[in-house]
Amino acid sequence: MSDWTVADLQKWDDKICRVGEDLGLDWFPIDYEIIDYAEMLGAMAYTGLPTHYRHWSYGKEYERTHTLYNMGQTGLPYEMIINSNPSIAYLMRENALYIHILTMAHCVGHSDFFKQNRMFAHTDPSNIISSFKSAAKYVRQLIEDPSIGIDKVENILDAAHSIKYQVPRYPGIKYKTRDQIIESEKDKMMENPDYNPNLSKVPIRPEYNLLRFIAEHSKNLEEWERNLILIVEESSKYFIPQALTKVMNEGWACTIHQKIINELNLPDSLYLPFVKLHNQVIRPHLGQINPYHLGYTLFQKIIEEKGFEEAKTIREVHNDITFLRFYADEEFMREHNYFSYSFNRKQQSSIVDDISDVEGWEKVRDAMITNVGLNRIPVVFVEEIEKDGTLSLVHEHDGRDLEMNYARKVFEHIKTLWRGEVKLITIVEDEIWEF
Amino acid sequence: MSVFRKHESIVDRAASDRTRHKKKIEKAIKESIKDVIAEESIIGQNGKKKIRVPVKGLKEYRFVYGSGEQNKTVGSGGEHSLKRGQKIGKQRAQKGSGQGTGKASDKKGDQYYDVEVSLEELAEYLFADLQLPDLEKKQFRFITQETVKRKGYRFQGIRPRLSKKETLKRKIRRQKMAEKTGAYDPESDERFPFHKDDLKYHHIKPKAKENSSAVIFFLMDVSGSMSQARKYLARSFFFLLYQFLNHRYERVEVVFISHSTHAERVNEDDFFKVGTYGGTIISSALKMQMEIVEKEYHPNAWNIYTFYCGDGENWASDNEKCIDLFKEIKDVSQLTAYCEINESYKGLDDDSLEDSSVKTNPWANFSAWKNEELDNLWARLRPITDKKFKRVMIGQTEHIWMAFKSLFGGSKTK
Repeated sequence: MSDWTVADLQKWDDKICRVGEDLGLDWFPIDYEIIDYAEMLGAMAYTGLPTHYRHWSYGKEYERTHTLYNMGQTGLPYEMIINSNPSIAYLMRENALYIHILTMAHCVGHSDFFKQNRMFAHTDPSNIISSFKSAAKYVRQLIEDPSIGIDKVENILDAAHSIKYQVPRYPGIKYKTRDQIIESEKDKMMENPDYNPNLSKVPIRPEYNLLRFIAEHSKNLEEWERNLILIVEESSKYFIPQALTKVMNEGWACTIHQKIINELNLPDSLYLPFVKLHNQVIRPHLGQINPYHLGYTLFQKIIEEKGFEEAKTIREVHNDITFLRFYADEEFMREHNYFSYSFNRKQQSSIVDDISDVEGWEKVRDAMITNVGLNRIPVVFVEEIEKDGTLSLVHEHDGRDLEMNYARKVFEHIKTLWRGEVKLITIVEDEIWEF
Repeated sequence: MSVFRKHESIVDRAASDRTRHKKKIEKAIKESIKDVIAEESIIGQNGKKKIRVPVKGLKEYRFVYGSGEQNKTVGSGGEHSLKRGQKIGKQRAQKGSGQGTGKASDKKGDQYYDVEVSLEELAEYLFADLQLPDLEKKQFRFITQETVKRKGYRFQGIRPRLSKKETLKRKIRRQKMAEKTGAYDPESDERFPFHKDDLKYHHIKPKAKENSSAVIFFLMDVSGSMSQARKYLARSFFFLLYQFLNHRYERVEVVFISHSTHAERVNEDDFFKVGTYGGTIISSALKMQMEIVEKEYHPNAWNIYTFYCGDGENWASDNEKCIDLFKEIKDVSQLTAYCEINESYKGLDDDSLEDSSVKTNPWANFSAWKNEELDNLWARLRPITDKKFKRVMIGQTEHIWMAFKSLFGGSKTK
């Protein structure tokens, strides 16, 4: 049935690792799990994590992937790797050998990126699995606890998930307790006598970590509810660096798998299907950004112009935003014919706003940057807890209005967590809007 | 050197989350079904027909950007040459750029997501766990017919019930015994005849067989006073009743009788579409039903359900006749309901719903008619107190479900 044995995989892995080392890559050891189609769907639903707490949304994700796959709208990914030490990756039993070879080479690229990129410096890859495991165990206990049960647990998780990306956008920002903030404010006041912050305000400075703030300041939350909110916050932290580097990470992995495979001297029977699959993965998606394509082409350009060593430095220090800002130049934007468009209500149609010509390319690139990773998620921060206990939130308006139906629902979810009055201020069609 | 492992996990780790998700969908469908039944009115439709049920609440809401002119999407244009201001189709802006973390952008602004279900499934969702425990026992006592069933064998019996197979088996057994003991030599030409002791007869027992055919009589006032809006409510109510009964019985027939001053047996289309003018004589329809029952649907063979929908207006002099006819119909039917479509009815207040005594019959003492002295049919039917006869009132679509539950719901209102 299949054209390979585990011994084959080991043989090719040896070669791949040797080439990887020659390229000067440095990655975590990789554990490959060989799984079947159903297990792959399961792994995907939980974003690859071997253990994860229960929530119906993962069941939904499973069904969604399953349906899409059955309708032939999507292929199963041949790669799924998680940022842990050792990295855990999945190989689907049903796949052919050339796919496995590509996958393993691709995973070396990802694991190298996880280990080297600065955005991941504060993740704790050695403990990530066990921390998800203990979270899963904790949630299971709550569900089984007759005085709590699944409905109450879901009530909190549903609400917390609605603001799971409302956490600091840059990794490494440590959450400071009130005492620590007061301490640092006092230091600043010593240095600058004109600096006179209101130290009785809570929070003293805008707080972007909504989940953490609510868990700590919400009255009437039970201990287990606070813990649950913190579990969601903790798992968000794991995903933030990935969201910040999606384009780079995929681009790097594609660059690496191609480099490695070109060194392997594959026989035609493996090489030709590889080329086909590789081209499939990095093809541009018309009217959309394919992060594999964008990242790969930009790294190719960098390697061509500056060499592989420089590219390695770039993969260390940048994230998607700076990566695009620094390296997506006019030539690049023009070559791939990037354009920006938006929905025009009057015409009930999408209209091209800018194209990558002399006048337009920068605007298109800037719009592109607003479309990558977390930039697609609105920023909402805690302004203060008012005297009557109202939680006052502000949406940091950057020109884009909130989708109001969604915002209203999220607003209700926040109320569930806060257990009190909540206020949310935003701008809608140039008018201040308060929920 | 990497490590390769054959995965040894729980076989289906997503199973419990999938079950949970499915339950939520079903719940959401049930919640929005009230809206759907008001929209979709398809009596007698093929159960395979798919209808879209908007489901609320399964979306995972996040803060997302709206699809306005400020929210620009970027894409690669391939070989196409593009100009500023060029139209590029309707869906594109909704789709998002196809990367990043946000799945939320797949259908911005859409509070619902549609689940396609067939009418059969819909009926199942509606009724399968409606938690109507009393219903099963009371309202759905099927009419029984006596039949007989074979059960075991006896040595005595009449000739027609002789079991040849059992008899032959006994003979063979006896023959083999005889061979063993030497009493009979199979090699010889001698016959080995049946003996009286070999004979076995089927035993039969009388058995009550449930009759699973039902006929539903839908009676409706189509006189001038029945506006389209009123008919619409009636139709929605009928739809629900039909789906429910159709779900319970193997075979369901429907008879439509419309009436103004005289009754007419019509098909479904005409029943809902054709309006007439003039007065209202309800008894004409009731009389016609009794005639049809007598001719075509003998109560011993059919479970009869009768549902009347009207706006309550009737010739005063006809009311007496109606009461008698309703009593007659009630006696041959499994369930008879008089449903009044009355816009001045705004629903029962919560207090009266709290009172457990009214749960089975919420409208027992209620009337939307301000002047009780008037000789209206609703009030006149009140004295008929029988589990097989019920009055329900519908003022707007939300009341349909309530009316339905009071007909079949037994003691549980929620």
